[in-house]
Amino acid sequence: MRVGLSWDLDRFDDAAGGWQGVIAEVVEADRMGFHSFWIHEGREGPADCPEPSVFLTYLSTKTRSGQLRIAGRRVTRALPAHIAEEVAVLDNFSRGRAGLAFAPASRQGVPAGHVHEMIDFVTSSWAVDEMRYRGDYVRFPAHTPDDAPPGTSVPTSGGDYVPQWEWGPETPDFLAITPKPYVSHTPVHVEIDDDETLEWAAKHGISPMVGADLPTSEAVLRLARYHEIADKAGRARREIEVVLERRVALDGATDERTLGGPPRDVLNAIVDLRRKTGVSHFVWRRGEATPMDLYRFASEVQLLLQA
Amino acid sequence: MEFWTTSLGVSKMRPIPNALADGYERFVQDAIRIEELGFDGYGSGEHHFMYDEFMPIPLQAVAAVAAATSRIRLCTNAMLLPLYDPLEAAEIAATLDVLSGGRVSLGLGMGYRPYEFDGFGTAKRTRGARLREAMEVLRLATSQERFSYEGKHYRYEDETLHPRPIQRPIDQWFCGGTSLQGARRAGAAGLDYWLANSPFDHTEAIVKEYRQAGREAGFDESQLRVASFKDVCIGNTMEEAEGLRQMLIDSFYDEHILGYGYLVDENGKNVYNPPKDHPLYQRFTQSLYCGTIEMVVEELKRYEALGMDMIFLPSQQHELIAQEILPEFK
Repeated sequence: MRVGLSWDLDRFDDAAGGWQGVIAEVVEADRMGFHSFWIHEGREGPADCPEPSVFLTYLSTKTRSGQLRIAGRRVTRALPAHIAEEVAVLDNFSRGRAGLAFAPASRQGVPAGHVHEMIDFVTSSWAVDEMRYRGDYVRFPAHTPDDAPPGTSVPTSGGDYVPQWEWGPETPDFLAITPKPYVSHTPVHVEIDDDETLEWAAKHGISPMVGADLPTSEAVLRLARYHEIADKAGRARREIEVVLERRVALDGATDERTLGGPPRDVLNAIVDLRRKTGVSHFVWRRGEATPMDLYRFASEVQLLLQA
Repeated sequence: MEFWTTSLGVSKMRPIPNALADGYERFVQDAIRIEELGFDGYGSGEHHFMYDEFMPIPLQAVAAVAAATSRIRLCTNAMLLPLYDPLEAAEIAATLDVLSGGRVSLGLGMGYRPYEFDGFGTAKRTRGARLREAMEVLRLATSQERFSYEGKHYRYEDETLHPRPIQRPIDQWFCGGTSLQGARRAGAAGLDYWLANSPFDHTEAIVKEYRQAGREAGFDESQLRVASFKDVCIGNTMEEAEGLRQMLIDSFYDEHILGYGYLVDENGKNVYNPPKDHPLYQRFTQSLYCGTIEMVVEELKRYEALGMDMIFLPSQQHELIAQEILPEFK
């Protein structure tokens, strides 16, 4: 089981000081063997990070092993090609350690189809070269006609190869988004708070993520539902990575969103959740925890989870 | 006068095939060395949908550099601002400004390659107006607690930028090419002006035009900063220097300058694949200055005397430049 860390950035009064603490923690956790570091996109508090790809590219230089995951990516501000590009750039700087998780549509105030289309577009752009895309929310390139096939299409006929520098002022009907990610299958997740997205992701083999704000009981129900739909659709478990984000309070109290108690209890709670939900990647959402908590978790929980 | 520069790592180059990830690693390693050598700034350009996988998001490239350096400015040369939502651009810049301790300098250009605009769904004909509006949005977003803006292309109502950058506002430059019209626009708007490669006489004329326009618009000349890209090719002999220039032209500039409509005629129209005796092509190649160390120092002293605040030097001969040229300006 993989174990990662994410942070409540909105608890800091200012970004400059708060982020330095997070960076120091990431560097230390990377040495301790944590598998992933997730920066959530946010715009509410003074220390929220609206551009996780920039933060994580910075961290790519500071770390050697941990996966660098963009979390809660929204579809409304960044242009679709920019999202594909930012992940590819991060993946090349980090030599294959990038990942991307989208926020649920309900949190963004957009139709679920908008998020689904963005996932379809971004993953297609990494998988194919010259392409065009016609959707309700995404169109690439912009001159793609209304009668183009829905979704991704690629050139079907041959013709002479024309080098890019000989195109002149005309834009071809199909464009390749570059660079491509370092690895062939960059991890992509979507938070399954919305029923429509849960069903779509399960049927299409898109990995589910349950964020820290959903109660644990609901996380169990939603992931069970996801697996039920995926199984019916004939999807294989090996296609996906189930991510569950929880708060942890070592020697503290358990509540709806927090796994508390001594390390052994936390370990047992995670193992129990793994059995109930098939979670393969547990993410500890860091709040007020101390560096010593990080060390204790690494040595007394994280390591044992992999046994 | 400050000296900024770049390196080759942000794309694959046909004459020097390389793995992209190796290029990115080299981009960071070069930055560390650049800082040690005494340069003042380091940056990346931006292009999209390129066969050579050119860097599409330059602020991300220098974010990797920020983590390995502590002093040099982290710049874009240039960021194609009309291809972004301006508030998103402000967020990217502010995020890096916080991470880097206030070292971001934005060189902002309007772009010129048609397929880049089509890929992002931005009408190319609006790029000039979009650039000017977006620069104002950037200035407001990074300097005020809350801001509103209403322009022809962008509108924001009572927005707040998180995180607050260290610099207020974030340092920004208008990358305006080499046209007198662009210089006049930048001067009239009081924008700091960053010229493209150009022979000295033309540069001098542009700077005069820019300052004149700035004065007429009521700006204090001392507040109008000016910078220039200046490719220099240094050799022990002129023949050696010109050989280096020809290598740069053959391996990089011919494709980038000729093929994508970079050159613009007196009517503002992009010129595609002009013959090599075309006056615009000739002027461009002449702007790549060739000379011995002494000649290059003398040439750059002319730029210093012109009141240049920054010169952006090319991606090669960093060690030589640091040893022989930078000390002449410190």
